[in-house]
Amino acid sequence: MGRLLQFEIFRYNPEDKDSTPHMQAFVLEETTNMTLFIALNRLREEQDPGLIFDFCCRAGICGACAMVINGRPGLACQTKTKELPEAITLLPLPVFKLIGDLSVDTGVWFREMYQKTESWIHTAKEFDPAKEEERMDNAVAEEIYELERCIECGCCIAACGTARMRDDFLGAAALNRIARFVIDPRDQRTDKQYFDIIGNDYGIFGCMGLLACEDVCPKKLPLQNQLGFLRRKMGITALKQLFRK
Amino acid sequence: MSVDATMHVVRPGRRDAYLDWLQMLTGAGLVLFMWCHMLLVSSVVLSPRIMDAIAWFFEATYLAQVGGPIIFLTMITHFVLAARKIPFRAEGQKTIWKHARMMHHTDTWLWVVQAVTAMIVLIMGSVHLFVVLTDLPITAAKSAARVQAGWGWFYLVLLPCIEVHVSVGFYRIGVKWGFIRTENRPQAKKAENIMFAVFMGIGLITLLRFAFLG
Repeated sequence: MGRLLQFEIFRYNPEDKDSTPHMQAFVLEETTNMTLFIALNRLREEQDPGLIFDFCCRAGICGACAMVINGRPGLACQTKTKELPEAITLLPLPVFKLIGDLSVDTGVWFREMYQKTESWIHTAKEFDPAKEEERMDNAVAEEIYELERCIECGCCIAACGTARMRDDFLGAAALNRIARFVIDPRDQRTDKQYFDIIGNDYGIFGCMGLLACEDVCPKKLPLQNQLGFLRRKMGITALKQLFRK
Repeated sequence: MSVDATMHVVRPGRRDAYLDWLQMLTGAGLVLFMWCHMLLVSSVVLSPRIMDAIAWFFEATYLAQVGGPIIFLTMITHFVLAARKIPFRAEGQKTIWKHARMMHHTDTWLWVVQAVTAMIVLIMGSVHLFVVLTDLPITAAKSAARVQAGWGWFYLVLLPCIEVHVSVGFYRIGVKWGFIRTENRPQAKKAENIMFAVFMGIGLITLLRFAFLG
């Protein structure tokens, strides 16, 4: 017989007037190779069909199942119960709007972030559909791809002390996004233009270097290195403009 | 309540970048100063005469008379700059406290420690500067008399606060400005701890020397 896992799960449905935020206890027997994805689905099927949580790909690709697992934001589908103690506390991600229980709306946040960071290639080049695609150096392409791997789960934002205290802070996901365009040769934005977006306390200078983003990222994105790179780049951009006057 | 009642859009500026530069530079300057300060004061362990000679040099060159107030101003400036990030409202303090407790994450906790020690160092450091600079020249005998006259506890609180703040601050500057990268973070963390242990050790030995100098 496997361990009896003691779950403490946050329950609250903002849509339901009678609902009040509280923690609910569940007990579930552990099975081989059990992930929190499996555990939560079993809890919903066997014990409480009203339990609200998000899942889609169950393979760490969609980012929908991010939640706070024993204090740390992470993906439920990637978390094996055998790596956790018997007592497992599950909370919804902070910062984002709560949909119900463990489900939050990261979509609105990310959409606004993409608009703020103007997360698309800015180029004056006319697109010619008949022309062969321009070649890109493989090393650069891989570098861009490395940062493109973000699945928008929101863990880095929920783990960020600054984002918790200030809801206007862009956070690691947004800054990583900018770093991705900075290294993309197709994007013709200048350092000054990037500076106008992130060269302030809402952007890179708001980062306090707590590195929780780096430590919780389920995709192991090189967030720390991007934050350091951007701070130096934006710091130098500001200095250059000071001396150019 | 947040209401968009204006067409005014904030123009992007360079203010935050300059403030961040200044926060880093004043911080780095104070870290360097604290290391030098500790090494110079600890010369009393070798001999009170060496410490007196160093103190005399700083006085004869007016480094103490001018440098002291400059250090005080730098400290205040650094406080004001870094305080931009510290929550002073109860609401914000509660948030970061709950966040640190939730995360079980060393670097997040160390930020809380940094913010708390900052307040202690601001007050006790100012008191220390005032006491020392209004009673020049600095001599080993006067420092020893102060420690023996009941100020020992004062320095036993101030010393660890400063050493923690300096070590964590040094590490944090490295992280924020990208000198500490993912690859060398474990080594930097180790260096941070060693730095704290070494300067704490030197500080305690120096305090003990003052306590028994006579």
